[in-house]
Amino acid sequence: MNQKELKALVTDWRVATLIVLVLISVIAIFPHFDENGNIATNLQYGLDLQHGAWIQLEMKGEVVGFTTDRQLDDFISNLSREADAEVILIDESHLEIRKSYTQEELSPIFASAGGAITSYNIGVSKATADDVKRILENKINAMGTKDAKVNTLTGLNNVARYVRVEMAGVDMKQAQEIVGKQGKFEIRVQTTGNETEHVVSGDSITSVQLPSQEPPGSDKWGVSFTLSEEGATAFQEAAIRYGATKDPENHYLQMILDNKTVYSAPLSDDLAVQLETQKIRQLYASTGAGKYGSNQASELEIHLRAGALPVDVSIAGSGGTSAPLGERYKMMAVLAGILALITVGFVIYYRYREPGIVLPMVMINASELLILLGFISLIRFQMDLPTIAGLVAVVGTGIDQLVIITDEILHEGKVPSPNLYLKRLTRALGIIIAAAATVVIAMVPLALMDLSTLKGFAIITILGVVVGVAVTRPAYGKVIMQILSK
Amino acid sequence: MGLINYNIEKYSPQQLVVIPLVLFVLSLVVIGQTFLATGMPVTPGIDFSGGTAVTIITTDNNDQLHATFAGYPLSEISDMNNGKFLKFGSMDDAKYQTLAQLISQKYPDAKIDQIGESFGKSLQSQAAIALVFSFIGMAIVVFLSFRTFVPSAAVVLSALADMAMTAAVMNIIGIPLSLGTTAALLMLIGYSVDSDILLTNRVLKRQGKLNDKLMGAFHTGMIMTSTTLAAVTALFVVSWFGSVQILMEISAVLLIGLVADVLNTWLTNVGILKWYILKGGAR
Repeated sequence: MNQKELKALVTDWRVATLIVLVLISVIAIFPHFDENGNIATNLQYGLDLQHGAWIQLEMKGEVVGFTTDRQLDDFISNLSREADAEVILIDESHLEIRKSYTQEELSPIFASAGGAITSYNIGVSKATADDVKRILENKINAMGTKDAKVNTLTGLNNVARYVRVEMAGVDMKQAQEIVGKQGKFEIRVQTTGNETEHVVSGDSITSVQLPSQEPPGSDKWGVSFTLSEEGATAFQEAAIRYGATKDPENHYLQMILDNKTVYSAPLSDDLAVQLETQKIRQLYASTGAGKYGSNQASELEIHLRAGALPVDVSIAGSGGTSAPLGERYKMMAVLAGILALITVGFVIYYRYREPGIVLPMVMINASELLILLGFISLIRFQMDLPTIAGLVAVVGTGIDQLVIITDEILHEGKVPSPNLYLKRLTRALGIIIAAAATVVIAMVPLALMDLSTLKGFAIITILGVVVGVAVTRPAYGKVIMQILSK
Repeated sequence: MGLINYNIEKYSPQQLVVIPLVLFVLSLVVIGQTFLATGMPVTPGIDFSGGTAVTIITTDNNDQLHATFAGYPLSEISDMNNGKFLKFGSMDDAKYQTLAQLISQKYPDAKIDQIGESFGKSLQSQAAIALVFSFIGMAIVVFLSFRTFVPSAAVVLSALADMAMTAAVMNIIGIPLSLGTTAALLMLIGYSVDSDILLTNRVLKRQGKLNDKLMGAFHTGMIMTSTTLAAVTALFVVSWFGSVQILMEISAVLLIGLVADVLNTWLTNVGILKWYILKGGAR
């Protein structure tokens, strides 16, 4: 191939796209030496390829479809009392019950509260699951764990039953301690200047309500919470002693979670007057108006619970990989990839005996792997063992389709005319697209479901097929024509 | 390819189909038995039935391991290249905590995975749904791309036979259905029809003598399967050597499936297609 031909080949859009993608991928993977002189990349690894632990929690609650002929508010408060649990309205026909009940146990409770069950799913609403996720993330971040991931597993019916926590660099025991640990919450009052004094701690808060508007319907948001008898007494005494009731503006009340101030405001004038003469158990912390106020209120609700989750959870599964085993698995994965490429190369050589065909094939194949790895780095996807298997399968089937192209083009005689060549290439691509479509469609259910760790695997496989059909096969078609026409 | 001398011309459609048909029926019997015993077509592993899986690097023999874990429901020990793969039945959380502690003391380099029973059950039903939907989706794509009933049905039937034979062999040699092997089965649904699509395409859409087309397709198809086989064999060897249990299971399932695929493409599918063409079903 002379220089002019080479230039024409490289500037062909199919080949150019491939080259650009490969370059971007190398940058994305960013192979370099870390401070210890070891080879490092931007690739992220799942918990079976590195030291870390995972915990799967089951959220104890259920989402129940219902009908009632009573007033909705009455029905819900009835139900909450009968079931001795928090009951939350998700939409006009679904309730979330934050306590573990079977459908058989719930039916009579609904009946006596004046309603009936129309559907029953174990789990909690998406919103509650998001709260759980946020609380766990806050908690883990507060511990300074460097690399953690919290995922809720939401089913197709929008009910979330499980939440999975993955933490790199810790072992299982530490992980369970972190997840199980309560935050340290306290309320302090400003004395003079910036000095503050302890008023009550988190265990004095007996319950926390959902964010609400005060007065109702006003768009002014806040969270009410209840203090215990002793807590209310301590609160009143402190407010009087430090002058917060006489001069609220200079004696702010502060809420502190794990040494961070999460809320700070003066007593309202009404409350200040009331506290002079009586202790108050039901308090209300206002957070402001509109969307901002409502967001702040949700945050504060979480803080008031001091890292306690809105629903009870139990451990549904857990596991961990030690550092040496993770290292070894990683090495095996690299080895498997390289060995797969080499053996595939040998098989191809055995068939075609023509370096001019074999070399481009293997290189195109390797470039496909590279592009996938680049994409994996870009989206910061955590590679795990099933993903490795998927990648190796991409190598195997990627070559398959290059074989289809080569054989279609070589069909009956060696050098097809450009016209015939194009016709054959189109036919080959037709076969490939049909085959690719079956792989994609076979993986779609898995990509849509939250089937634990397999979702990522499915996405990577689909992506591999798409990259193949859209980029590497057309480029190969161009390259092989150039080579064969000599 | 010189290695395999296979003359499709020689055999009648009936002769072609008989071997895979017998195997298919036998497979269904094996699957049926497993289904009656476990409620799943393949014996569910820990991912689906709940329990604890532990990989340790050790030179201890089985007796020593049984002694070490005497107080725990140790149900199975399998050998790996330089370690052991242990399975425990369900236990309560407190017990599990002590087990985890014991393992981290005695075998600090372990990998532990514990799945609760209810979580496993919910995964199991989702995995079953995923498999069914995948298969239906694949069938739809096949029918859409050929738009003639018999050839499309032949491809789908071959894929079904692939799955059935793979599942049966998994039962026989004791590979459990786990998240990893489910992934492998899903991959097979997608990949096993590759060569069937090539075959059908060549036969229906190209001009020329039937036997020439069949032989051409066979040549290309065998190379395709052997490249995938080569890649997966590499994976199997490395994972056996490095004792990576889940990769070993995945690659074993893929290997079985690919062999079944060769059988079903070049006997079942070719047989049906040949019968269809000889009957005058296509130009």
